Amino acid sequence: MTRIGRGVIGIALAAALAVGLGGEVPGAGAQGAPPIRVGFASAMTGPSAITGEGVKWAAQMVADEYNARGGIAGRKIELYFGDNAGTPGEAVSAVRKLVDVDKVDVIVGQTHSGACLGALPVVKELQVPMVIEACSNPKIRDLIGKNGNEWVFRVNPDDVMLANQFAKYMVQHVKTVSIFAQNDDFGRGAAAAYDAAFKKVGIKLVSTEFFDRGQADYRPVLTRVKRAAPEGVLLVMLASEGSVFMRQYRELGLTQKLYARGSMGTAEFLYQVRDSPHIADGLVEATYWTPALDPAWEKQWMERWKVPVRIHGSLAAIAFRYAVAPAIEAAIKKTGKADRKAIRDALEEVDVANTPVGRVKFDDTHQAFINMLLVQIDNGQLKVLEKIPIQP
Amino acid sequence: MIDLLEQLVHGLTLGSLYAMVAAGLALMFGVVRLINFAHGEFYMLGGYAFWYAYAVLGWPYPVAGLAAVAAMGLFGLAYERAVIRTILSRTWHVQLIATLATSITLTNLAILLFGTQPKEVPTRLSAAILDVGGVRLAWQRIVVLVVAVALFAGLEWFVGHTKLGKAMRAMSQNREACAVVGIDVQHVALAAFGLSAGLAAAAAAVVSPLFNIFPDVGALLTLKAFAAVIVGGFGFVKGAIAAAFLIGLAESLAAGYVSYAYKDAIAFVVMVAVLLVRPQGLFGRRIGI
Repeated sequence: MTRIGRGVIGIALAAALAVGLGGEVPGAGAQGAPPIRVGFASAMTGPSAITGEGVKWAAQMVADEYNARGGIAGRKIELYFGDNAGTPGEAVSAVRKLVDVDKVDVIVGQTHSGACLGALPVVKELQVPMVIEACSNPKIRDLIGKNGNEWVFRVNPDDVMLANQFAKYMVQHVKTVSIFAQNDDFGRGAAAAYDAAFKKVGIKLVSTEFFDRGQADYRPVLTRVKRAAPEGVLLVMLASEGSVFMRQYRELGLTQKLYARGSMGTAEFLYQVRDSPHIADGLVEATYWTPALDPAWEKQWMERWKVPVRIHGSLAAIAFRYAVAPAIEAAIKKTGKADRKAIRDALEEVDVANTPVGRVKFDDTHQAFINMLLVQIDNGQLKVLEKIPIQP
Repeated sequence: MIDLLEQLVHGLTLGSLYAMVAAGLALMFGVVRLINFAHGEFYMLGGYAFWYAYAVLGWPYPVAGLAAVAAMGLFGLAYERAVIRTILSRTWHVQLIATLATSITLTNLAILLFGTQPKEVPTRLSAAILDVGGVRLAWQRIVVLVVAVALFAGLEWFVGHTKLGKAMRAMSQNREACAVVGIDVQHVALAAFGLSAGLAAAAAAVVSPLFNIFPDVGALLTLKAFAAVIVGGFGFVKGAIAAAFLIGLAESLAAGYVSYAYKDAIAFVVMVAVLLVRPQGLFGRRIGI
């Protein structure tokens, strides 16, 4: 092959990769009124890439849905994607790319707490509104809204809010617990929140262990858990790690009650362990979304993507439908335009009462208070045990 | 005591995995004096090949494993021809960037081809539990150990008794002299890459039923295997294998008795300590298969 031939193939390959891994996916072309450019930032590469893929799919579904009925106030939605690789440093690059190159009007993201924390300063610097859909690190609330960053809003509850409720449930079943959490801002934030919540309700925290994502073997730490013999284990873990973890948990013969934060009590986890669907029976997850909240969305997802609905994509869709879209509509109605400042101002006024996740309305810390759910894996199926309203 | 035995079982499984990957990395370095930073991706692709043969095509486990080894052996040959041969005469900077770039490209290609959902390939042996005096382990872990030992014995026999193996040993000592005496050095290098990729695929075929396969799985493995190659003495295959087991055991004991979060750090501190005392590697041989 000639050198030029190789070069052409190389460029074509690079272009294909760029499009596949975070490049532009335009919506239906706008005619007349300019489109509204919406950026979705998540982990499109790296060990967390499964979350970004879900976000991308969900974004395409909602954009198609809105564009099919003429967009928002006659303005079509145009999608752009930023790859934060689930890390703070890459989140900064993702935001800069979305703002400087793609010229987006609003960002939905960043899925991972570390990426969210990393993105906060640059979002403020570039003055672009960002609606967080799934980052639960409690520190975020101390940094947004009246606490400093007026450009960021968060739809999902944080781990302090969840932990206080979850601990009250757990104490009815166990008195001693070990925590096993991801070694990142999500895991460490959650571990600290549960440590404090356990003290309030009288649960003794026996041990806290952290793991780096993408680990192959959890047996060494499971042996430690076996030695500590707690009555329950709280996992702060995503579905992609959860399947290997559960197999090794059963391999070692552990029988402790399992509680989880992350995405263990989800359809994607059950899909992951479909060859042994009962492997995590009894596990209870503290969450704020499950397919039962919106069966039509689940059906549409299955038909389009042929795999079970993913939680992070669904949360991005929730953030878009019940925060971003109403804000854009209100901004256009009020000011005749949907620029960044108008969308930011309109987000402060958003109040959507009847959504599948509860009411979406931001307080002065730019935090919404949607419902919390306790979901149990029961006989290989997801079962909602409780829906708990979270008070401001 | 049971606790310690369990940690040793974990360490041996991890050590076997690292050793099978590190042996290939050391072999390649020995023959062509180049660190292949895409070697972890050989494991990753081997895992996907095994998953495809076993879970998608439904082939019996041993057949699927051998098919993955054969497929990756061919891939190793193609990789040597397409990437390695073009950069072998260039500086180490070019070699480093080229193999790293290949690693990133292969990872992203895997995302495009296989998606981001981790692939699971549980077998009957990964679900069947052996209980020896309270130490519980999946039978698949025994398979990992047995296959690893068999592969290392086979490799030892190959480099000691076959013409091609002897040529690899000779090249690891003096490539130029080999060329002068008429050894087809390009052919030997090609075979070394095929063999190394096949070893990585064999590791993937026995380990994947215990751990998932996902596009990024090779990154950390390359790092661990590289550490084993350094500690074992650059290019000394038996040294790399022994060092890989040491790293696996150090990691497992660190995770079990000190901290799971810092197990990698502890294993690497052990590596640095070894190199401070023995800069030439544990076994005192700088090069030589």
